[in-house]
Amino acid sequence: MVDYFLRIPGTGPVVKDLQNWGIILSAYALGFGAVNLFYLHTRHISRRTPGQWPFSIWLLLMIAVFAIVGVGLTPASKEYGWLYNATYFALNATVYSSLGFYMTTGCYRALRARNAEAALLLVVGAIALLRNAPAIAVGVPVIVQAEAWLSAVPTTSAQRGIMIGAALGAIALGVRTMTGRETGFLGRLTEAERRR
Amino acid sequence: MGKQGKGIWRRLEDVPREVLYVILLIVFIIPMINPIGLPVPVSAAVKKWHDTIEALPVGSAIMIDFGYSGGGEPELGPLAVAVYHHIFRKGGLKPITMSTSLEGTLLWDKVIAEVKPEQYGRKYGVDYIHIGYISGTETAMAAVGKDLRATTNTDYKGNSLDQFPIMQGIKDASSFKLLICYTTGGDQSEGWVRQWYTPYKVPYLCAVIAMMVPTMLPYQKAGQIVSLLAGAQAGEMELLIKMPGRGIKSADVITLTHILVFAFIILGNIAYYGRKASERAGG
Repeated sequence: MVDYFLRIPGTGPVVKDLQNWGIILSAYALGFGAVNLFYLHTRHISRRTPGQWPFSIWLLLMIAVFAIVGVGLTPASKEYGWLYNATYFALNATVYSSLGFYMTTGCYRALRARNAEAALLLVVGAIALLRNAPAIAVGVPVIVQAEAWLSAVPTTSAQRGIMIGAALGAIALGVRTMTGRETGFLGRLTEAERRR
Repeated sequence: MGKQGKGIWRRLEDVPREVLYVILLIVFIIPMINPIGLPVPVSAAVKKWHDTIEALPVGSAIMIDFGYSGGGEPELGPLAVAVYHHIFRKGGLKPITMSTSLEGTLLWDKVIAEVKPEQYGRKYGVDYIHIGYISGTETAMAAVGKDLRATTNTDYKGNSLDQFPIMQGIKDASSFKLLICYTTGGDQSEGWVRQWYTPYKVPYLCAVIAMMVPTMLPYQKAGQIVSLLAGAQAGEMELLIKMPGRGIKSADVITLTHILVFAFIILGNIAYYGRKASERAGG
């Protein structure tokens, strides 16, 4: 933080080392997460958790296959690329795309002008929707102008408010964490929380 | 009449979701198989993105972050392809890629396979390179910005960076004239503002999935992002560089499905008010 806000000569090498530690720790956390997954899902398998254990076997099998191919042939290999494209990539894109179907039925059932507020939301939503249809943007320029105003004024203003509020909250949380008042992330309770 | 009317409106309100799914699927598939060629406008943001790259002097290094996941590929992949076409065709630029997303390196491979840099006479390590996935997201951005070689000294295949001509003279964020980020995550899109724009003032082009645009607008309005695009605007970029691809093919689909959803909203409201009116009429 000091390095970010102040230019103090001589801190460069220390900051570089700290940043590299951070990178190594986050890489280590990925491995730690994989170990944790193994621990969790082997328990599901050994206990035959109903509706879960067959999927746990499949998950562990896929982790093992990816790990063996990745370590054995490197993630830059064609084999690893094929494995990724044929499984995870296809599934990821499919699940994400399926949201479109849920959104469509959601719009049909939920976007109703039941009162003034809902009507306002509906109008704004409809403008944003039509603006994002390329051919409509060409044929009805007023939609583009309306959406540009909505984006530039109410959306940006509201978003700035949310961001500033979240940033102030993050600062408060940081101060509380550094002064030992916030220990929830360690799974501990503060004295005040214990007394409650 | 009242009872019958109420029945019709109620049935219209409660159309089974499977019916809506099938209609959406039909509207989705037809233009994919048989493109209609509906008009696509080139927006000011796309033009600005294009002009920013066009204005780069020869020898400029560009840091590109492939920070998206497989779920965002259909949206962001075509834009990444179009931008690479532009960079390679212009020539004399040094696109140096890294990934802040675990899948980024694999998705970069897909993009490069689609672009085929060899058609422009571009060679890996000379005209473009990928330095791999660097974990830690914002920490990675800060570390690469401070000292790239201290963070990683190999490319994504584990080869030493020293052997690649493109890496000569590349030390830190100040070596780059432009930053491009394609991402499905707020950590990346906002992180680059904090770690590269604010301390080093590297001009920043940001492409996100459409639903992330409102969260990034304040940065654009504040001038911290030169141009902010949704991946769905890939078709506009393809039109601008005259290289039609996946983006322009999906433009028809985007238009028709958006119009369909709009029609669904109208229909849903007609059914809702129809039922209310018939309920009132029926006492």
